Amino acid sequence: MSGWRSLDKSELVGALVLMAFGAYIVVEAWGWPYLTKDGPGPGFFPLWIGISMVGLSAALVALQLVDIKRGRPIHRNSWKDTGPVLAGCLALIVTAALLKPAGFVVSYVLLTIFLVRAVFRESWTAALTVALVSAAGFWVLFVKLLRVQLPAGPWGF
Amino acid sequence: MDVLNGLMQGFSIAFEPMNLLWCFVGVFLGTVVGVLPGLGPSATVALLLPLTLQMNPTAGIIMMSGIYYGAKYGGSTTSILLNVPGESASVVTCLDGFAMARNGRAGPALGIAAISSFIAGTVGVVLLMLVAPPIAQFALRFGPPEYFALMVLGLSMVVLLAGKSMVKALLSMLLGLWCATIGIDLFTDGARFTFGRIELMDGVNFVVVAIGTFAIGEVLANLGVQSSGQNFTVPKGLRNLLPNWQDMKDCRFAFLNGSIVGFFVGVLPGAGSTIASFVSYGIEKAVSRHPERFGTGAVEGVAAPEAANNSETGGALVPLLTLGIPGSGTTAILLAALILWGLKPGPLLIQDNPQMFWGLVASMYIGNVMLLILNLPLVPVFAQILRLPGYVLYPVILGISIIGVYSVDQTLLDVWLVVGFGVLGYVMRQLDYPAAPLILGLVLGDLMENAVRQSLMMSNGDISILYSRPLSATMLLFAAAILVGPLFRQINSWRLKVAEQES
Repeated sequence: MSGWRSLDKSELVGALVLMAFGAYIVVEAWGWPYLTKDGPGPGFFPLWIGISMVGLSAALVALQLVDIKRGRPIHRNSWKDTGPVLAGCLALIVTAALLKPAGFVVSYVLLTIFLVRAVFRESWTAALTVALVSAAGFWVLFVKLLRVQLPAGPWGF
Repeated sequence: MDVLNGLMQGFSIAFEPMNLLWCFVGVFLGTVVGVLPGLGPSATVALLLPLTLQMNPTAGIIMMSGIYYGAKYGGSTTSILLNVPGESASVVTCLDGFAMARNGRAGPALGIAAISSFIAGTVGVVLLMLVAPPIAQFALRFGPPEYFALMVLGLSMVVLLAGKSMVKALLSMLLGLWCATIGIDLFTDGARFTFGRIELMDGVNFVVVAIGTFAIGEVLANLGVQSSGQNFTVPKGLRNLLPNWQDMKDCRFAFLNGSIVGFFVGVLPGAGSTIASFVSYGIEKAVSRHPERFGTGAVEGVAAPEAANNSETGGALVPLLTLGIPGSGTTAILLAALILWGLKPGPLLIQDNPQMFWGLVASMYIGNVMLLILNLPLVPVFAQILRLPGYVLYPVILGISIIGVYSVDQTLLDVWLVVGFGVLGYVMRQLDYPAAPLILGLVLGDLMENAVRQSLMMSNGDISILYSRPLSATMLLFAAAILVGPLFRQINSWRLKVAEQES
């Protein structure tokens, strides 16, 4: 029991998530034909992927428990400083949501201002300069010169 | 003698001022557009194809192939500088290229990429010139069982890409293999893991997964450090920005390995530069005296995959020019271009149009020299990008990433997916799961599944077809040797430890 308590929590959660995901793949693949008259069906590959994933996730936990039992040093993952990372993830989610209604240029400008101000704690001048100059650069290079289609807002960019 | 006469004739065509100009325009445009992520060689060639339609076929194919190998070279730049792989073959370059940039050696990494591209490109052309017809016939002997064995050999490279934990590397590869099953099953027309989304019917694009796990994962990890200042050191002075003699010496085997592997994998239709770059990296690491340096900025880790990626161009042209079979998306566009120019691709193409074939071969030599001359002076310029402070660099990487994934299919779902894979990439990094096996699984999974199912259809379900043919048996043996190699090393180290304790 003490072995379980010594496990790195994030490692355990990671392995359990993969195990659950493997089980989901197995359940889904179970619904498709495993073999057809011509050979392996659509369920063949996913089923083995899912089974292997469950097996290897279990092996990962087991190997760590063996390490603990043998007194080998356990690597602990550092989750310090995750605040800016979470802020970055949130900003990216908001940017993805804004792309359709506001277009690429506005979404990107807002993302950049947020990152430069809130995460890197730079001045408003720096935030606005970086956001506007890089957005303009992207727009000229990709939209005007290379004719790449980017999401456009009601204002046309 | 025929080869020599042909080559002389080719050089007389390629040195015509207009052909020289088109060759330069091709490699220049290819490099510039190829630098942008999402716009890999096939997208670049397709984008610039209309420019060549008014030309004569020889000038047209010279320019198009210039774009092809120029774009391949350009793909390495963002991989090294920003950890943003522009195409699947550049993923391997990220591993050591970006690590070199982090160690303040972005310049030498870019320089080695240019030099290995030049050497491998030249080797590829020499091989194209000398062995094209017999090799093309050999490639035709590759049936589904041989492709299955080749994919297994490719996947066995996971052993060499694994970091501290083999189990984690295998789990990462399985995740990639699962991603490869997303979409319509071509054999039964049934949808798998599409969650009711039409956009997922064609599967998950590799660019989305690679940019998410590598580029966005990297940016998120760096946000955690919250470093506003300059994140990379860029040494001053031109001498420090280019590879030194020791780098060149360290890479001599990598140049050769990448060139040969790239060419022969390139000849096989469908195999592509991705498997070539992974295999050459794997070989390089396997034969290295210091395999532990790989992944931390080993210069050979840049030279081998870049050489393979560029030599593959010569290889890929073999089935196209000798048999009229396109082996990749890019050569399929080149095939369409040949038809548009009024040529008939097939076994008689070289015989009927010797001036086109030899003009192309000679122009590829010249194009490779142009690429080197064009790119080496640009190395110090590109390296300056890393002088940008974090608050400028990271938003720009995010912008390039969003544009890169959106430009592939113009779908917003890809942007959501790249964010999701970015978070996954960050978590994988934190938990020490290597990301390269995920890409390996994604790229090879689909090909492997199709090869297995086609093989078993051929044999009416008899599984022995997968290992009973000589070529597939040989490749499977190699794969088995790669897979069990570390196990033997582990057993040997335990044996030595026990012997030490007993004594």
